[in-house]
Amino acid sequence: MPSPTCYLLLHPSRACHRLLPPSPRLPARCARLRVSCDVPRQGGDGGGAPKRGVIPAGSGKGKKQVVFFDAAPPVAQQGDGEDGKGEAPEVKKDGAALRALRRATKRTLSVLSNLPLAITEMFAIAGLMALGTVIDQGEAPSHYFEQFPEDNPVFGFITWRWILTPGFDHMFSSPVFLGLLALLAASLMACTFTTQLPMVKVAKRWSFMSSGGSIRKQDFAESLPRASIQDLGVILMGAGYEVFTKGPSLYAFKGLAGRYAPIGVHVAMIFVMAGATLSATGSFKGSVDVPQGLNFVIGDIMKPKGIFSVAPDVFNTEVHVNRFYMEYYDSGEVSQFYSDLSLFDLDGKEVMRRTIKVNDPLRYGGITIYQTDWGFSALQVKKNGEGPFNLAMAPLQLNGNKKLYGTFLPLEDSDSSGVKGISMLARDLQSIVLYDQDGKFVGVRRPSSKLPIEINGNEILIEDAIGSTGLDLKTDPGIPIVYAGFGALMLTTCISYLSHAQLWALQDGTTVVVGGKSNRAKIEFSDEMNRLLNKVPELVSVGEQTVDNKSSTA
Amino acid sequence: MLFATLEHILTHISFSTISIVITIHLITLLVRELGRLRDSSEKGMIVTFFSITGFLVSRWVSSGHFPLSNLYESLIFLSWALYILHTIPKIQNSKNDLSTITTPSTILTQGFATSGLLTEMHQSTILVPALQSQWLMMHVSMMLLSYATLLCGSLLSAAILIIRFRNNFHFFSKKKKNVLNKTFFFSEIAFFYAKRSALKSAPVPSFPNYYKYQLTERLDSWSYRIISLGFTLLTIGILCGAVWANEAWGSYWNWDPKETWAFITWTIFAIYLHSRTNPNWKGTNSALIASIGFLIIWICYFGINLLGIGLHSYGSFTLTPK
Repeated sequence: MPSPTCYLLLHPSRACHRLLPPSPRLPARCARLRVSCDVPRQGGDGGGAPKRGVIPAGSGKGKKQVVFFDAAPPVAQQGDGEDGKGEAPEVKKDGAALRALRRATKRTLSVLSNLPLAITEMFAIAGLMALGTVIDQGEAPSHYFEQFPEDNPVFGFITWRWILTPGFDHMFSSPVFLGLLALLAASLMACTFTTQLPMVKVAKRWSFMSSGGSIRKQDFAESLPRASIQDLGVILMGAGYEVFTKGPSLYAFKGLAGRYAPIGVHVAMIFVMAGATLSATGSFKGSVDVPQGLNFVIGDIMKPKGIFSVAPDVFNTEVHVNRFYMEYYDSGEVSQFYSDLSLFDLDGKEVMRRTIKVNDPLRYGGITIYQTDWGFSALQVKKNGEGPFNLAMAPLQLNGNKKLYGTFLPLEDSDSSGVKGISMLARDLQSIVLYDQDGKFVGVRRPSSKLPIEINGNEILIEDAIGSTGLDLKTDPGIPIVYAGFGALMLTTCISYLSHAQLWALQDGTTVVVGGKSNRAKIEFSDEMNRLLNKVPELVSVGEQTVDNKSSTA
Repeated sequence: MLFATLEHILTHISFSTISIVITIHLITLLVRELGRLRDSSEKGMIVTFFSITGFLVSRWVSSGHFPLSNLYESLIFLSWALYILHTIPKIQNSKNDLSTITTPSTILTQGFATSGLLTEMHQSTILVPALQSQWLMMHVSMMLLSYATLLCGSLLSAAILIIRFRNNFHFFSKKKKNVLNKTFFFSEIAFFYAKRSALKSAPVPSFPNYYKYQLTERLDSWSYRIISLGFTLLTIGILCGAVWANEAWGSYWNWDPKETWAFITWTIFAIYLHSRTNPNWKGTNSALIASIGFLIIWICYFGINLLGIGLHSYGSFTLTPK
């Protein structure tokens, strides 16, 4: 029989005992209370890593305080108390200036962590992003002069000045937008430190309620006549609750991780923002168009993006394009682009060889090489058995989605004024369309077919089509931080969906008063409660159990 | 050819069944509650669910890739996600007001997919190189599931707004005319359903205002839960997309219009979730934000695709338009 001053974990009976493995080890002394409260939580219902990460930090601080379970002291008071202690010695030393600074910091923090401000910031950012998709980005100023003329403003007042002055022609790098993002990040951090972390302390406290009145005030309240609090405890444990009893009162909770996870979400957001800042200030980018068979040095094409961009040693690596080719569907559409690349170090030793394709980049020493584009470099042609000649292909249609390349093989002396010859056009490396010197269509040849074609008395054989590969290169030191943030964000938002449910009960004679609340799933919670409370057995006759209950209440 | 016929048959079965289901819903709404009809509408939903699943599977088999490569397929997938949302609470056997939202939404999306779009778009297209990745399945399915969930949640919020701001609120209105005039407004339907279930669940009739309050509270709570779920899915979807973009396009964030609008959607629903933590804003204000979110989702999902701008416009063989 538990004594009133001691807190015992309710001993699970029969089927439920596996739910709380640490229960036998629990100390039954008041002094160790913080520990006994933490133990079951850590061995709890499979909360994720953030939960484990957060609790020990908080519990360390918690041990210093003498906490009573009836009511948690208001958060604000705590903060004041700690600040007061901190201030006292410093006032003696440095006087008013420091105090003013402290007060200013505190005020800034409280302004920043203000929820309406944060919401306004988010609205503003959303609005600016929407604007950024409406206004054409990154065009020359003349484009905006034309689109938003001064004599005929859009909506009667928007002229190009409105666009160009705040830098909305490059919205996502404009100082207004970046400033707002920075402000939001500051709000995030301020909120995490001033509001969320103190909430951990409050949520950590598990409290019994000793009056039926306060239990009945909860969102969900019910009284069970002729019931035993022990039965209720067992049923709650069966439903995955952590249950604690102290004499006639009971406290149970579930899904505590759901209360901590939003903090994790904020921290993860800060990680992502920090990583993105590092990406923006410390990365290199470059893109290059290399014909098959040629090579380039990485450092030559990489351009620093920000002030913290430091060139790594691997920038002197040389990349050789061994082969560029495409694969096609039966319908003739391109299915994939491949570039066979070799990397050579300064000594000319091959350090890596790989075939890259879209969605499968090459990574070497912090550099990532992407397959992003392609071009038609040259056509190898034999004329009447002579050659082969390399004819450079020129892009003919730069705008629009489809690419078109063309070249020209002169048939007469190039000295005479009106040079006539054979025109060759190609949409891809697969088939070449040939026209005679009058511009009439002659035929289509595939480079692989080795089938000659007769044009104006000349036998033309297309030997090979040489493509060029469009590669994007980058280094991005922010990636690991951003990815860590991504992972944490996914995990913590999922955990945030959990609802933290708390339940209090009090044995009042033969009646059990039950009250509870949940921070998210309110309807599901009351449904679950109704279901669980229906399971609590009703003690019909005055048997042994009732006597037991009475004696334990006494 | 076999697959084409099969797909044809399946879309027609699902579309006609869902039409019948919605007619039944209207009948039970306008005339009276018929228990048997209600059961049959549930059966109808199951039939549509299976035929649409069959459609997606046959597409997958015939095209050899996950059937989410164009707008038509994504719309069908969206209706499928709505069915899933409709079905999950049924399995858990918890009663909620979701089916009043999901059933008409499915008929709208599916109807639009089968009749509203050009038939050329129905053809399964080849996968452009940028889409050939395992991420396609993860990213696009997560995004569409989240759209479906968020749409449902924000519609519930819109229903709250309509209930709150309706003047001359006749709760025990028996004027059929009045009802008929207004029922064809979609949210009204949802509202009337919800009203009836509120009436049923309450044991003794008392103040109309109390029921109104109870109803809005319940709708509020459900829309919050559903939006939270959708927000989680949206977060996962966007982040998967970002990781994929880092593999395919060379950066995890490109400020591409679709990306940006997905981020705007995310921001709006983040605002909604934050507004719920303030007791003064809970209710009308947060419902208003969620209703804005409803429009934003459609801009994000549809508007950008219609404009065909940015990196997310597929169909041409150029890799990255520069």
